[in-house]
Amino acid sequence: MNAMIKRKVIFTFPPEIVEKPISHTLMRDYDLWVNILRAKIEPSSGGKLVLELRGDEDMIEQGIESARQAGAGVTLLEHDVLWDKELCVDCGACISTCPTQALSLDRDNFKLIFDFEKCVACGTCAEVCPVKAITIEF
Amino acid sequence: MDTITSKLRTYEEINDRIAKGEAVVVTAEEVINLVEDEGARRAAREVDVVTTGTFSPMCSSGVFLNFGHADPPIRMQKIWLNDVPAHGGLAAVDTYLGATNLSETAPDYGGAHVIEDLVRGREVTLKAVSGGTDCYPRKEVTTDITLLSINEAVMFNPRNCYQNYNAAVNTTKKTIRTYMGTLLPDMGNVSFATSGQLSPLFNDPTFRSIGMGTRIFLCGAQGHIAWHGTQHRPSVVERDGKTIIGGATLSVVGDLKKMSADFLRAAVFPGYGVSMFVGIGIPIPILDEEMLRATAVTDDELYTQIIDYSYPHRQRPALGTVSYGELRSGTVTLDGKEIRTSPLSSYAKAREIAQTLKKEIEESQFLLQRPAWTLPREGVNNHLE
Repeated sequence: MNAMIKRKVIFTFPPEIVEKPISHTLMRDYDLWVNILRAKIEPSSGGKLVLELRGDEDMIEQGIESARQAGAGVTLLEHDVLWDKELCVDCGACISTCPTQALSLDRDNFKLIFDFEKCVACGTCAEVCPVKAITIEF
Repeated sequence: MDTITSKLRTYEEINDRIAKGEAVVVTAEEVINLVEDEGARRAAREVDVVTTGTFSPMCSSGVFLNFGHADPPIRMQKIWLNDVPAHGGLAAVDTYLGATNLSETAPDYGGAHVIEDLVRGREVTLKAVSGGTDCYPRKEVTTDITLLSINEAVMFNPRNCYQNYNAAVNTTKKTIRTYMGTLLPDMGNVSFATSGQLSPLFNDPTFRSIGMGTRIFLCGAQGHIAWHGTQHRPSVVERDGKTIIGGATLSVVGDLKKMSADFLRAAVFPGYGVSMFVGIGIPIPILDEEMLRATAVTDDELYTQIIDYSYPHRQRPALGTVSYGELRSGTVTLDGKEIRTSPLSSYAKAREIAQTLKKEIEESQFLLQRPAWTLPREGVNNHLE
């Protein structure tokens, strides 16, 4: 029996598969605990769905593979939210606008800490960053 | 009798010690612990120089450029750099490029980005047009320039380095976009913008060493204070039983060709426009114990007011008084509500600047310059009617 893990995943839906019940399949067939963090899907243009999946590691892998087979694009959240530490000036403009408190300053060196565990890929930080050090594909 | 204003050392003596590599230099953070450990009296007798730093968006910034002449020559009347308009009202190939000028073609790109691109050694496209004259017959030029290819590039910022600045909040039901960043509805966040205990003018609040000619660290180069800044309004007010030091400002000048993008960065505030992070460090000579005591000030002793930036008129209401210690803790309490804070000024960079300046002085690369005159202790406060 593998340990239970959690993983944040961004599913991209092309318009032709918006009617497929992908979340339902993840729950029913792979016994995954699914938390919808963010969703924007239109019948005409498709869209994206950010899920936090919890369950058996193998089942998560198989569930993700089934979504791919069904035609969804799949990326891990930490691969889609990009924080360029070289560009970042640690000003902290992003911190107080983050709805999930994923961003903070280290109390010792005052450099930015990005906690991807808390991130829901909402994109607010990317929008307010004055030096465009954070980019998000959403 | 020895008092706190008894002279301990002169500029000349400090520079002699710097030249010999013997100067004792600490940052405006390190001096706090030093005074706690051994008292101001002893610390003042040990320390020659205290270094400060700030790295903050400073809109009133820009550069004078001289391009050199084309053949045939042109008297440039309208000028663009990477499609950002620059000032055409100087001599034939001189211009001033302001940091906040916006590109006519690219969103989120402005004068500050051109300046950063030049500092990074990138090519910038210069376009200029003219009516043509007998002595300058050419009517148009388009060419690429770099920082190395042009004659002069001098940063000259009319207002930088605010002594103190408001913290900002929004009391309306809608998000607002300001030069103090994005302010969430219902007092959802507070932004503020100084390096507090590390900030240059908090460490010499009566400007004993700050004035025209003072040598400073400016974006990685050695620059100078040119004048007092525009809207220079030094003041000390009492609010809620707390002393709030006011808004002294500096005008600074330095050689862009010697600057580094580590300490100068273009900034975009969505819905507001472009600004520029400017890195400034000022060395404070410890001429007597009083000067050292001033540098030992802490964030808990420095206050600012939280101002409602959603109020659309000049005199915005103050909602409370908070210390920089509270602001830097991550949350402040206002009307019983805990509100998260964002510094727009990088404390990590301010610290890096104070440390870099300290190292340069210790290694005899940076000498102190006594100002020709020190900043006025009073300012003017006129308004448009």
